[in-house]
This record gives sequence, C-alpha cells and structure tokens, in this order.
Amino acid sequence: MTKLTALVIKWVLIALALAGVLWIATQLAIAGNTMAVIVAGMVGIGILAVYGTRRNVPLKYLLPGMLLLVAFQLWPIIFTASLSLTNYGDGHLISKEETVTDIIAQSVREVPNSPRYRMSVATREGASATTGDLVLLLTKPDGTTFVGEPGGLEPLPAEGVEKTTTGKITKAPGYTILTAREVNARSKDLSALAVPTGDGGGIKPVGLSEAFEGKPSVTYDAAADRLTDSSTTPPTVYEPKNARWVSTADPSVAFPQGWQENVGFSNFSRIFTDETLRAGFAKIFVWNLVFAVVSVLSTFLLGMLIALLFNDPRLKGKAVYRSLLILPYALPGFITALVWRGMFNQDYGLINGTLGLNVDWLGSPWGAKAAILITNLWLGFPYMFIVCTGALQSIPQDVREAATIDGANAFRTLRSIIMPLLLVAVGPLLIASFAFNFNNFGLIYLLTKGGPFDGNDTSIGSSDLLITYAYRLAFSGSAPNYGFAAAVSVVIFIIVALMTIPAFRQTKALEEVN
Amino acid sequence: MHKRAFGAVAVTGVAALALSACGGSEPAAPSNPTPGTSSAATTTGEPETPTGTAAPVRDANVDLVIWTDPDRSKPVQKYADEFAAENGVTVKVQISTDTRAQFKDATKVGKGPDVIVGAHDWLGELVQNSTVAPINLSADVASKFLPNAIAATKFNGQAYGVPYAVENIGLMYNKDLVPNPPKTMDELVATGEKLVKEGKAKQVLSQFVSKTGNAYFAYPYLSAFPDGGIFAVKDNGDYDPNKLLVNSPGSIKGGEVLAALGKKKILSTNVDDTNQDALFDTKAAPFMISGPWSVAKAKDAGVNYGIAPLPSLTGGGAMKPFLGVQMFYVSSKAKNATLAQEFVTNYIPRKEVQLALFEVGKRPPALKEAYDEVAASDPDVKAWYEAGADGLPMPNIPAMNSVWGPFGQATADIISGKSDPKTRLDAAAKEIAANIAKG
Repeated sequence: MTKLTALVIKWVLIALALAGVLWIATQLAIAGNTMAVIVAGMVGIGILAVYGTRRNVPLKYLLPGMLLLVAFQLWPIIFTASLSLTNYGDGHLISKEETVTDIIAQSVREVPNSPRYRMSVATREGASATTGDLVLLLTKPDGTTFVGEPGGLEPLPAEGVEKTTTGKITKAPGYTILTAREVNARSKDLSALAVPTGDGGGIKPVGLSEAFEGKPSVTYDAAADRLTDSSTTPPTVYEPKNARWVSTADPSVAFPQGWQENVGFSNFSRIFTDETLRAGFAKIFVWNLVFAVVSVLSTFLLGMLIALLFNDPRLKGKAVYRSLLILPYALPGFITALVWRGMFNQDYGLINGTLGLNVDWLGSPWGAKAAILITNLWLGFPYMFIVCTGALQSIPQDVREAATIDGANAFRTLRSIIMPLLLVAVGPLLIASFAFNFNNFGLIYLLTKGGPFDGNDTSIGSSDLLITYAYRLAFSGSAPNYGFAAAVSVVIFIIVALMTIPAFRQTKALEEVN
Repeated sequence: MHKRAFGAVAVTGVAALALSACGGSEPAAPSNPTPGTSSAATTTGEPETPTGTAAPVRDANVDLVIWTDPDRSKPVQKYADEFAAENGVTVKVQISTDTRAQFKDATKVGKGPDVIVGAHDWLGELVQNSTVAPINLSADVASKFLPNAIAATKFNGQAYGVPYAVENIGLMYNKDLVPNPPKTMDELVATGEKLVKEGKAKQVLSQFVSKTGNAYFAYPYLSAFPDGGIFAVKDNGDYDPNKLLVNSPGSIKGGEVLAALGKKKILSTNVDDTNQDALFDTKAAPFMISGPWSVAKAKDAGVNYGIAPLPSLTGGGAMKPFLGVQMFYVSSKAKNATLAQEFVTNYIPRKEVQLALFEVGKRPPALKEAYDEVAASDPDVKAWYEAGADGLPMPNIPAMNSVWGPFGQATADIISGKSDPKTRLDAAAKEIAANIAKG
C-alpha cells in the first residue's frame, strides 16, 4: 500500500468519525441539551487532535477505549451518584413552577348549571390563521350565538350566520373559521384562551366543537409562596414543605404533585439510621455474600469433578456426555428458573412429589435459600465444567507422569499438581463468576422475588440480594424513589469495589505460580 | 493459545450476562432521541408495531399520536382512521408494550404521545407526575356511562379520561360437577368437599394466592364485612389515604375467614398465576375465583363453565370485588391537545367504538347502550357485569402503591397460618401507613 492511499484512508476514517460526532451533536442540539453538545464537540476536537497529527502515538490506541470507558462506566456512576443527592422519584419529577400551574389548571371545575356551548374556532377576517388572535364562535343550547374573546363574551348577530344541525357555526360574516388542522396547530394558544364570564370563571374549549364554563378553585400568591383552595370551607392554605404543597391546618393533607429538589446526603443518612433498613441491609449483605460464595464454590466443585471424570482417557462416549451436560447452559436461564419455580411448588411441584417430601421450598426462609442455591448449581455447573475441561486439557501429560514416577498417589497429584495449574487458568473466571452472582438479579427475581417476607415487613425479603432490594426500592416498592435507590446503588458499588481489591491481589498471587 | 481464546470468550459472555442482569436496576432509558423518519400520511393500514420491547418513537409529522397495547391496536386504528378522514388530519396508532412506564419516560423528555389507553388505577400516579390532562365531558354524555366507570375516571373530583370497559373477578364453576352456583362460601365449601370425597375433584377452589400474596384477590374477603376493606371513602367519593381500613374490625373478620379457609387447605399459597387456570381447566377444582381473562382458556380446555357473583360470607354480606376500568387518557404535554381532546371526548363515547373494543377483550363495555346490546346476546358478559354489580372501583390514589405489597403479603401469611389475622393485619396497617407517610 502506498503512502498516499494510507493517507487517504486515514482521512476518510477521520472524516467519518467526525461526521458521526456531528450527527450526534445535532441530535443533542434538537433535544436541547447544551452541555452534551459541548462534550460532543470536545470529543470531535480530541479525535482530530489525536489522529490528525503524528504526535500522541499511545493515545491513538487508548482513545477509543477511554471514550467507551467514560460513556459506559464513568458516566453512569457519576449520574447515579448525582441522582442519589436528590428526591427524584414518583411525585417528584417536575419543577416547583410546573406544580403550581398544574395544580391551578387541574382545579378547574365546570360551573354548576352553566350551559354547554357548541363552538367553532375562528380569527377575524383578514387575520392570519397561524398568528392572528383566536376568537370562539359559540352557540348556546337555545340557539343564540356569541363571540368569545379574551375581552369577554359579546352577542353575535344571527344575520348571515350558518350553523350545522347540532348548532356549530360554519360561517359568520367578519370571521374566518379555522379547519381542524389549523386549530390543532394552535393548541397552545387555545389552551391559554378563556373567555371571562365574571366571577373568575371562563369559557374554555373542549376539543374542536364544544366549550364549557369552568372556574379554578386554587389561586397562587407568589409573594407569600402559598396556594389557596377556595373549594373547601374554610379555604385551605397550602405551604411548600418537603418538596410538596402541604396544608397549613392539617399536615396530612397535601397535593399529590411534588417537585424535584436536592436533598443533600439525607438519602444516605436514611440508609444508615433507619432501624429496619440498617438491620435489613446487614442481613441482606450477609446472605448476598453467602449466596455468591456458595454459588461459585458449588458450581466450581461439581463442574471440576465432572470435568476430571470426563478427562479420564478410559471413559467411553465422552462426546455424548459432554454435550448432554452443556444442555442446562444452552437453555435460556429465565425459562430454567421458571421451570424450577414450578418444580419447587409445595403441593404441585415435581420435587416434593417424587421425593415424597412436604417442604415449603419457596415459603420458608431456609427453603427459599436452598431452592435458589440448587437452581443456581444447575444453571452454573456446565459453565465451570466447560472451563475446567478446557484448562485440564491444556495441562501437559508429562507433568502428571513425573508426579506418578515420584510416587505421588492420585489425590496428591490432584492437590499438588493439577489444582494449582487449573486455578491459574480458572481463578480470574471464578472472580468474574463471583461478581456476576453477587448481582444475580434475574435468578432471584424469577424464583422468589426476594421472598418470603418474614417479620411483618415486606421491604426486606429473606432471599433478597442487594440488587433485588435496590430494585424494589426504585421500581416496584410502595413509592418508587429513584433518588433513594441510587443512594443504595452507590453503597453497593462501594462495597463491591472494596471486596474486589483483595480478590484481584489474590489472582496476581496465583499468576506467580507460572 | 486455544485455552486463552476460550477463556476470553467465556469472560465476555459472563460480562454480558452481568451487564444484562444489572440493566434491570438502572432507571429505564428514555426512548431513543431519533425523530421518526417522515411519513406524512400513515393514517391507513396496520398499527405500527415496535421492534422488541422498546418504547415506540413518536412521529413528529402526525397530527395525533395514540399509544395502545397490541390487543387493542386494531379497533383503535380503525376509528382513528375514521377520525382522520372526517377532520382532514393524520393519525398514528403506535403499539406500546408497557404503556404505563413508557408513557412516563417518554413524556418526561417531551416525546410522549397525545392519547394513551390504560387502566384507571394508573390515574393517581399520572396526576402525581403531572402527565394527564383533565377531560370535561358534558353531563349528558357522562350520564350515558355506567356510574362506577365514570367515578373511576375521577381523582380529587376532577375527571381525567373516557372509559370503555369494566372488569372484575367473579366465581367460575364447572357446570358438569356443580349444576347451580353456591350462594354462600359455606355452601361452596360443602359442595366442593363432597366432590373431593367422591373423587370427582382433587380440591375445592382454585384462587390466586401465591407466596407473596395477592391483594386484588384477597380484598373481597374483607369487603364482605361492614367497614372491611383498604381505604375509607371521603365525602366526594375519593378514597382517603389517611383512613386505613386494613385492620378495622370488619377487615379482621375477613382475615379470620381467610385463616379458616387456609387451615382447611381451600386457599393455599401454592396456587399462583402459574397453576390457577390449569387447576380449573383440568377439572381438578370445581370452583375458581378469576376474571374475564380466564374464560378463553377454559373454553379451549372444553370446560362447561358458568360464571356467578362471588359468594357471601357467614356473618357478613356478599364478597365485593374491585372494579377495574379501562379508559382513554389525554397527555397534559400533548403536542396536539385539541385533536386529542376531540378524539377522546367525541369518538370514544360512540356505541360502535365501544362495541369494537369489546370484541378484543370481551370485557363489559362502559357505555350503557353498548353494554345492553352485548349483554342481550352474550350471557358471559352479563354474568361478569352482575358479579361486579356491587363492587367499588379499585383505588386510584397514589397511596394504593403502598398497599399492594404489604397487604398482599399479610393475606398470604394469614392463609398459610404463619400469623394470626389481627396481629398480621395490624402490622400491615402500620407498614402501609409508614410507607404512605414516606411517599
């Protein structure tokens, strides 16, 4: 390849990458995310600076990995951590200003005994359909016609007015009636329009051809920062408290709409001060550790023993056995978990049925834990079996022969020769398996949903892992609270990180065997 | 070399699994910010199906966007087309696999639809997050609907939707074994136990309980007694989150019935969603407490089923089920608010629309006129409606989210005999109250 072609290819690739960044930036600009556009621009400059010049050779290799690291590892961590300092969750998704306009808009009620009008939306003749002031041409049930404007309601002379059988005006001299599409395009202006009828009420449109007289019962006093609801006697006054509008007279009365705000470290202090949470957290953490350790050890031991057995040259038909053993791994884990859930059913399940037992597997704390470990053993051992088979086959035969010649028996050979060599290859995978099982959400969720729940409390289940616990807090719990769940996630992250450090030190030690 | 490559593959696999498992705990990502490719007039034809389970992408070039579940998409599409032709606009019906969550996420980033089809008990959450707009039906249109259906569209006295169907649970019985449905629970138990003794059935009743409990199915046992239930009702018809009835004397009586039935193994925590229908359809149980969704399966299995109101309990009255109401909502952030309001207030109350929507789920229509027409020809619909005649709409206040878990678990613990009714319901009430205070 000549130098020129290489250069052309290089610049084409750079141009493609920059075009990609530009496209992402325009999409972000459409979404109105200024910060992200700036970041995308900086990434673009970075790509140009690293690949467009001859300097920074190491960076040429590192940049793609670094970008992915930031996008998929660092950003989620930073995002979660920042979320954990807010009260973000159901009922706290919008801003305070939005709650005020929303509460007032939703307090509008139809004025009792007021008529329903047939309505057409129009502009004055000559005015533009897209920008001109809107007027409502209204027909009362008795057939009298009116013009409604922000200024008020005026009678519309019947001369020249044409109506449909239902009373909707289709033609009026001096006005241009808008089409459905034109009206829809001005939905915003239309929703802001209320024809005042005195007494604080107004005529508002419903859809394209009907209008009603409504009146909001809530008013906002910006100076005092209070909402007043006059539909109750006496009127209820609401003040901002804990990111919601709470009645000054009765603190149990509040509007459902709350707003998002920063709460500092209160989510974290709740984790460590709430008695149920603290006790539960410790309980869940212990079971989580036990679950991960026992899962790894049991799957590894079973997988390794079977691998050793099938590694024996004297065994016939190994290919068939091996394929059969991989089956549990080949089936989708979700289906397997659900099948096991059915088998563990106390009354109708296969396990109690064939063994003649009456164990309440999924309804008792120890039964549920045992059921989970058994299912995970079934799901996990084929993987360990594959890995160990591969590793065993790579251990040279002469090492074993040397051991036999030195007079070591089978057990001694296994312990002192095969195991250390096997662990070098498998050790890092055991750590990966541990980390996976530590967060094995799917299994727990499909098998027990974290239950059974004992001690009259449904926030902490006896087979919960930290991850299923955080999920329940965030999504399916009583009041979905993303901010609090983010705080729990941050704590889990720190715990897992702390545990991983010694584990990786340990694998380094294993590598020194070679 | 071989070994190392193999290991690398395995590690990647584990990492991918770990990633997908962790994915569950992250807040669901808002829908892809790519705007739909322009398709000016897609008003006719098939509703747009999503790829996978991701939220549909809102089409910016359409005058009205409706999100619905796959089942209802066909009839909604048909009348959306009619609406489009009549008003000279374009309408797009998109299928959403999880409307409740996808609507919340998409609306938050300004990419939500104008109209959604959903259940009435989402309402509290939607109002709380300020994502639905009030709907002002005129009094004479509202009076054409079943009163309970209209009541269910209201929150804090304001109406937020137009209903099209009601659903509730009732008693399904096998006519081959039981010619006449029992009127009381005692009668049901006696009949069932006799059949078991004669070897014609394996168990008396199939009811969804499960290890974690099911509040929806357990509630009628409490509501059979005066002041038994979950929340007291305020003067304006709303449920009052500050007045819990979970451990009222009436509810405790209901709890005692659950305990007694659990002791006799008539109710069991080993019956759940996986085997409830199978027990009835294989004729192992002559009675099942379930809803309209179980009918198709029973029909396929060739069971000669009948539908009756829930039986009454000794010392109390009839078991009153929760009513669920299906309705059309308009988004408060709708880009096409006017057309959305027009479609929902002017099209959904039409008889032919209600009849078309009935065909897909076979749930009693919410419009009286449509219900009368179907009930005359379909005895099942009439039976379901009558089974729910004195039911109350399921609470739609946000506080209900705090009830499902603790209350369901409490009933499961009472049925399994782990705890006695009074202690357990007191504890549940305490937990629910604490959760409501936190929310």
